Amino acid sequence: METVSGGAGSPGHPVGFDPTVAIGRGLTLPNPVGVASGTFGYGFDLGALCPVDRLGAIFTKGTTLHPRPGNDPPRVAETPAGMLNAIGLQNPGVEVVRRDYAPRWRDWAVPVLVNVAGGDIAEYVAVARRLDGVAGVSGLELNISCPNVAGGLDFGIDPRPAARCVAAVRAATGLPLVVKLSPNAADVAEVARAVVGAGADAVSLVNTVVGLKVSLALGRPVLPGAGTGGLSGPAIKPIALAQVARVRRAVEVPVIGIGGIRTATDALEFMVVGADAVQVGTATFTTPRAALDVLDGCQAHAERHRLCAWRDLRWSALG
Amino acid sequence: MTPTPPAPSDIARARCATGVCLGVEGVGDDRVEVRLTCPEVAELARPGEFCQLQVGPGPVPLLRRPFSVCRADPEGGVLAFYLGVVGEGTARLAALRRGDRVGVLGPLGRGFTVPDPPATLLMVAGGLGAAPFPLLAQACHRRGVALAWLNGAASAGRLYPAERLGAPVASHCATEDGSRGARGLLTDILGPLLATADRVAACGPNRMLAQVASIVAEATPRVPLEVSLEAPMGCGFGTCLGCAVPVRAGDGARALALCCRTGPVMAAERVDWSRLLALPPAHAA
Repeated sequence: METVSGGAGSPGHPVGFDPTVAIGRGLTLPNPVGVASGTFGYGFDLGALCPVDRLGAIFTKGTTLHPRPGNDPPRVAETPAGMLNAIGLQNPGVEVVRRDYAPRWRDWAVPVLVNVAGGDIAEYVAVARRLDGVAGVSGLELNISCPNVAGGLDFGIDPRPAARCVAAVRAATGLPLVVKLSPNAADVAEVARAVVGAGADAVSLVNTVVGLKVSLALGRPVLPGAGTGGLSGPAIKPIALAQVARVRRAVEVPVIGIGGIRTATDALEFMVVGADAVQVGTATFTTPRAALDVLDGCQAHAERHRLCAWRDLRWSALG
Repeated sequence: MTPTPPAPSDIARARCATGVCLGVEGVGDDRVEVRLTCPEVAELARPGEFCQLQVGPGPVPLLRRPFSVCRADPEGGVLAFYLGVVGEGTARLAALRRGDRVGVLGPLGRGFTVPDPPATLLMVAGGLGAAPFPLLAQACHRRGVALAWLNGAASAGRLYPAERLGAPVASHCATEDGSRGARGLLTDILGPLLATADRVAACGPNRMLAQVASIVAEATPRVPLEVSLEAPMGCGFGTCLGCAVPVRAGDGARALALCCRTGPVMAAERVDWSRLLALPPAHAA
């Protein structure tokens, strides 16, 4: 097989294969495998356990206007093939991200998209505005669907507030804007259409699914308060695939699939139902280099089947 | 005065390795030591640090399980972990056979201080909290630090045998059923032992650690106490932010610190014991 080095194709890829994924507004991911918000910090935590340079994208921890200490423990609980978390958006605040983190991202090959969260539209806008034009920040992922903070979920489950939030942020920044959708919406496709109408360049889904674990011994939920948290991991993959397939039919913009991806097979399944890219999340907790393993597997698949682009996988039987 | 918060542990030292089981040895009643060949981690592990062990191919159970490093032999490339069967993950580890492969992520976290000689370190271990002490005892002994050992458990069969520590110790124990040593809790006999100690290291259930901290805080002269905490953990390397424990900030304010990076070993005065005890027991999760 003829190969090229450099250019659009990575070494070892057949001539004509384009591994990149265009998100819009000038942002092109070098490959379709990124790491999900809340599972990779700001890209500095893992060090040699997962070198960042080959990743397709880093979606940072959800970032708010001011630092947040997060929820009181316990914050995590394991469930069958998954885990619940109620971290509560612990983050250092946008100023630290802008001042200390972004300069370090400037020289990285991997695009870093800052996940933006807030309690109300004004906060989302304020965070977005502070990141606009900051070197090192390649884009924003709008987290309108955090289930663990009062108010955070409301934007994501209803198309109208979702669109209002996205339109306000769109007006505040020229950065590429990915909107992260909630699987807890009554109709995710309707929310997707609304946020794309309001200016989203791409959508990513799914965020965690609201769940609850009970301790029979304690006679109450394991997590504090109401006991609900966000369910992630392989348990939610079928839900995520169904919602990605549905959103793919509803919008034209790039769709980034998230939910229980541990292997290249998982990632490729998302591409079959229409995902343009994927994020590896909870798998990083057990296998820090999971995203790189997924990428290697996807690239091997592409070579084996002589793909021209990842899009060739869509509803396509390759054996 | 609250000391300056320590820097988080150094993730650059952690390796994502695969260990090979050398054997699972019963230690008393329902307790085992799992021995693994894992040279790349064995050469790095320091007392009080932990590893995240993969208990199966997944996805059920999904997460790794954190265990203090019990022994680390850099020459032989061997790691050992002391554990009791408390759930599915520990049951799988206890059922390992020679030659089975086990994912080992570590060493992780901040460990115990190995004091400068001349000094006497009192090691206080409740139940499975004996796990980090063989490695600590051996490091101290090599350095010329004298050791005292206070072990408490439900019954004699659940004490950690002092001869397994691998270093000479002045040994004391308490059992709840009185089958060996003093009848009662180790905290009942801790007070007088503090007079001969320059430093205390403790590991066990958080409730026991709180009592140890309270007894040590009241003793004169004060001796420094380090405790190894437990918390439900997701990743073990500071990314999931799941293992927060309540601490006192520099100004005494309420704060949270990650057990996996700022701990698991912390200075006792850093821990906000009343908030910690208000939480449900870690094992209930």
